[in-house]
Amino acid sequence: MIVAEGLRKRFGELVAVAEVSLRAEDGQITGLLGPNGAGKTTTLRLLYGLMKPDHGTVQIDEVDVVAAPLAAQARVGVLPDAHGLYPRLSAREHVRYFGELQGLRGDALEQRISTLVERLDMRGIVDRRAQGFSQGERMKVSLARALVHGPNNVILDEPTNGLDVMSTRAMRKLIRGLRDEGKCVLFSSHVMQEVSALCDVIVIVADGRVVARGTPDELRELSGHRDLEDAFVKLTGVESVESLSAAGGQAP
Amino acid sequence: MRIVLRKELLDGVRDRRALFSALLYPLLGPLLSGLLFGFMADKQRDAAEVPVPIVGQERAPELVGWLEGHGVELVDAPEDPRAAVSEGEVPFVLSVPEGFGENLARGTPAQLELIVDGSRNDSRAAVGHIQRLLEYYGHDIASRRLLARGIDPEVVRPVVVAQVEVASEQELAASVFAFVPMFVLMATFIGGMQLAVDATAGERERGSLEPLLLNPVPRSAIVVGKWLAAVVFALGCVILTLLCCVFVLEYTPVRDLGLSLDLTALALVGVLLAAAPMALMASALQILVASFARSFKEAQTYISLLVFVPMVPALIGMMTGLERTIGALLIPGVGQQIVVERVFGGEAVGALDFVLPMLSAIAVAAACVWLTAWMFRRESVVFGR
Repeated sequence: MIVAEGLRKRFGELVAVAEVSLRAEDGQITGLLGPNGAGKTTTLRLLYGLMKPDHGTVQIDEVDVVAAPLAAQARVGVLPDAHGLYPRLSAREHVRYFGELQGLRGDALEQRISTLVERLDMRGIVDRRAQGFSQGERMKVSLARALVHGPNNVILDEPTNGLDVMSTRAMRKLIRGLRDEGKCVLFSSHVMQEVSALCDVIVIVADGRVVARGTPDELRELSGHRDLEDAFVKLTGVESVESLSAAGGQAP
Repeated sequence: MRIVLRKELLDGVRDRRALFSALLYPLLGPLLSGLLFGFMADKQRDAAEVPVPIVGQERAPELVGWLEGHGVELVDAPEDPRAAVSEGEVPFVLSVPEGFGENLARGTPAQLELIVDGSRNDSRAAVGHIQRLLEYYGHDIASRRLLARGIDPEVVRPVVVAQVEVASEQELAASVFAFVPMFVLMATFIGGMQLAVDATAGERERGSLEPLLLNPVPRSAIVVGKWLAAVVFALGCVILTLLCCVFVLEYTPVRDLGLSLDLTALALVGVLLAAAPMALMASALQILVASFARSFKEAQTYISLLVFVPMVPALIGMMTGLERTIGALLIPGVGQQIVVERVFGGEAVGALDFVLPMLSAIAVAAACVWLTAWMFRRESVVFGR
């Protein structure tokens, strides 16, 4: 479970996150939806503790992220915005490295790696070096290393960005699978279809603030629009042409 | 920390560029200079064996006899001596003008001509050799004439300059081989260079830093792991460089320069011991500087400039020699240079000589690693500015 209250983060003059509170429950998929530049990535970084909030608190399974970042990070698997690979390591070595850093050793680690290889359908690439991996393959490796320690909470920053249809489907299946295991899944996206297809709860952010939250149905009701895309536009209050294309234009 | 170290080493070993600079440098530097010195040695030895082309042998039978008596082989000069010299066919031509015999017999100055090309470096040794021989010949005649007149030849030598060589043969060798400490100390900077850049600026540029820092591992452990990986590469480079230097000194014509270095295993261990703290410091400096840089390229530029750090004391050491004082020993880089020079020179080296530079180098290394760890905790550094 991830609970954030009153988060605020400034970079110099720029206020990236003005006021964000959210709650992502176990066994649910929570979507963080917002146009580009709304503060999604910064919010997530505050949640997984790579950035410290100027104000507010974050708790992951009741562990305070600011006070005990290492304990909190052991409870969360993250696919961050930047998920580069080491071109000279194989997929297996990537996952093993992160597993070791998470404190796994020996048979338990190897077992875990082969489970992930099965689950993410990585058999073909597991012993190849990451140099020359396709987007989808890179994403699989990044996911495997994020999940190697079997965390109860999973945070994914734009997980389907740049993926083709097949990979996107596989990603959705994985996200649902994690939810069905009772994990807390929180992901960000600017793609409407994605969020409406997957999420149990949607949190909409714009200009660093939470402007609405609820199930897809509740949001439709709240905005008075039947179409979720119209609801999103209404709720974020950004109806100019550029914002529209930023929010909905990239949908597949 | 050990996990990070192992991964970075694996990554580094697979990185052709990192391996290249760590392996190629020790092979290239000493071997090249070895060849150079070997070449010089060859020239010097050959100088004594060059046959002397001569014009007009018949006009100076006495000189010919004297030269042959001193082991010089005389050959007839080419048709056009001047052209032959300027084209480099022969290093010089000795020409005996007409009337040489008569002048000599009369006791008036007898002229000899030595046709040389002063712009040719490769003939300098041979020319010097023949000039010295001819001077001896002149002195010989002068002494005999004085004796014939009943004068002690010593009268015309009011001042005798005797060179007193105080350097032991090994010290002499060490001054010629001052390049060895420089190579060794530079190796500490070159060995881990690529790895240091790749593990810091490269890691961020690749976007793999953010996921890495998401693991429940203290930043200091990650930084120390990366630093130690660079240190391992630097030390590997130092050992290779040393071995190459030894090989060059032992098995190439450098020996013929009349210089010999008694490199015992103990001395080698001593050099390693002196260079090791330098490797700690070099890698720490590189990790710090590379973390400051905004991009991979920028980091590479800064770090190549860092290589000049060990060169400054090394060059001073080669030019003027470094004074061995407590203060100098305490300056990182300078201290190592002094110790390595002394070990090579076969001089006694005390525990203090090792400990002082070691302490200062380790202090610098610790400060750099600490600063890097601090930087890794800063958001602006982690996410790039």
